[in-house]
Amino acid sequence: MFEGLLVDLVPYGKDFLDRENEWANAEASFWGSGGDRRVVSRAQTQARLQRWAEALESGHDTGVAFGIRAKDGTPLGFMGLTWVLPYHRLAMLGAKIGDPAYWSGGYGTDALLLVIDYAFDWLDMHKLWLTTTGFNRRVMRQMEKVGFTLESRARRETLADGQWHDGLFYGLLRTEWPGRDAKIEQLGLRVRAEG
Amino acid sequence: MTVLHGLLVDLVPSTAEFGEKMYQFWNNESRMWATMGDYGPISRAQIERIREERAQAVERGYTGVHFMMRARDGQIIGNIGLNWVDYYNRVAYLGSWIGEPDYWSGGHGTDALLLLVEYGLSWLDLRRLALSTMGPNVRAQRNVEKVGFRLEARERQATLVNGAWVDALTYGMLREEWRGRDVLVEELDLRARAEQRYGTGDE
Amino acid sequence: MIEGKLVDLVPFEDDFATYFEQWMNEESWFRARVWERREPHPEDAVKKFIEKMEKNEHGALIGFQTKDGDPIGGVIWDHEWTRVRKVDAILFVGDMRYEGTDEALDGLLMLLRYVFETRGVHRVDAAALAFDEVRIEFYHRAGFSHEGTLRQHVRWDGDYVDLELFGLLEDEWPGYEQITAQLDLQPSGIEPKPKPEKKDEKKNGSGQQPG
Repeated sequence: MFEGLLVDLVPYGKDFLDRENEWANAEASFWGSGGDRRVVSRAQTQARLQRWAEALESGHDTGVAFGIRAKDGTPLGFMGLTWVLPYHRLAMLGAKIGDPAYWSGGYGTDALLLVIDYAFDWLDMHKLWLTTTGFNRRVMRQMEKVGFTLESRARRETLADGQWHDGLFYGLLRTEWPGRDAKIEQLGLRVRAEG
Repeated sequence: MTVLHGLLVDLVPSTAEFGEKMYQFWNNESRMWATMGDYGPISRAQIERIREERAQAVERGYTGVHFMMRARDGQIIGNIGLNWVDYYNRVAYLGSWIGEPDYWSGGHGTDALLLLVEYGLSWLDLRRLALSTMGPNVRAQRNVEKVGFRLEARERQATLVNGAWVDALTYGMLREEWRGRDVLVEELDLRARAEQRYGTGDE
Repeated sequence: MIEGKLVDLVPFEDDFATYFEQWMNEESWFRARVWERREPHPEDAVKKFIEKMEKNEHGALIGFQTKDGDPIGGVIWDHEWTRVRKVDAILFVGDMRYEGTDEALDGLLMLLRYVFETRGVHRVDAAALAFDEVRIEFYHRAGFSHEGTLRQHVRWDGDYVDLELFGLLEDEWPGYEQITAQLDLQPSGIEPKPKPEKKDEKKNGSGQQPG
């Protein structure tokens, strides 16, 4: 659907949904939830996916879900807009890469640049934002690299492995976005992808 | 209670008393003008069902925004709103209906239209507003042209009205074409028209 | 009823429900509910909101009134996140004569008292549109810290405005008794408004029982 350098963004279909329960019980879920360690049954995951599908159907969930697929076809995880407020032209980003083997190879950044372009160029959003936690250094580094601004720090917002951590809010205005091509150039991603 | 304050009308949220008004408006000639000839007797029960369906539509993701039109004398004279807001393209379709013929040609509809356009552009950040009317509705055409809408499409003989095939007209206005409510209030002399009808006093 | 210094917390019903049709369409409502689209709330939408909050397992809408029983507005706690014991707090003043008064401030303090001292939360989140000085002043007086600014976040009358975020932690909350003593709350002396007219019961007899 949208072709990146290392990954493509595709509909979040069966390939991905089939992995949901595995991912929900994996380390990825700890990072995605700000420190929760859930132990989830297949039936619970099924029920959650069912509720999600219904919310999308009824229009209560205005989000847009993409699957991140490696060039060899492996489903890697989720990338999308989890909360879209069209009247404020504001969308929240969310991402989860299920398999830790793909956490630092530039796959997430590649997918992120695609979805940013999508939100600005196709959905005409005014601003994108996201939240993460103060212990998620990988995401913090990624956001700064891509050009997001740290806008707010919610003190001791979340509990992870017995410690309170801050919640972080990042924002990117459309006027600050140079476009995906320019960003790829600036970060030298093409060379990395080919190398 | 008022959301949008005009000179001849206020646009206010719909209240319970609107049900009875709807019954009256849908059964008089105004229905033909506000739609494109869709006119026929309708029962209270049908009106009630329509109101219920509309209330539930929001749950299903309906994005319209509707106001009652309350004239300066307190009468509920019609309604106006955005029948559909397409947030991704930032386009909305306007609909307006004055159900009390006594309030036609007095500037009430124009006053309401200015408020609604300003609301759509300022609060909802829309880029384009559109509306449709029919060939015989010359009054509506004149009003929307004065406000800055342009005729964009004429579908010939699109609809049957009282035994005759008539054209459907679509008007549109882009954000940058809007001259601002203050300018138009001045130009269309709405202040004087309001005074003439209601005397001086609170706006 | 939970009794406070200047105001009491009461169920959001009766006169509150009557006033709410008006309040939910005032600007103050949209300032309090920073995310909401600015649109007219018809009668049925107002009722539906009250119902939704009554069924909400992670929040509630509570009325607050003066000691004379004059309804002022509402407080909302919402999105309770039990794992980290966190809630969002919202104060809205319906009767605008009370805007900025100590009664309104006491409404916020009573909400904080309830979430910290009864529900046992660890953290309270609050937000204000950047121009909403009265609200921001209240947050400061109640002990919140300003934690950041979400730039150009919300559409408001022709522009995008910043959203200011605030947080208050349980170990920063001195307790209701202490903070009210410290702030020396004083009644405003505003005359209670006349009781609203009872709404006509529905003709088909399905209307609610009186009071």
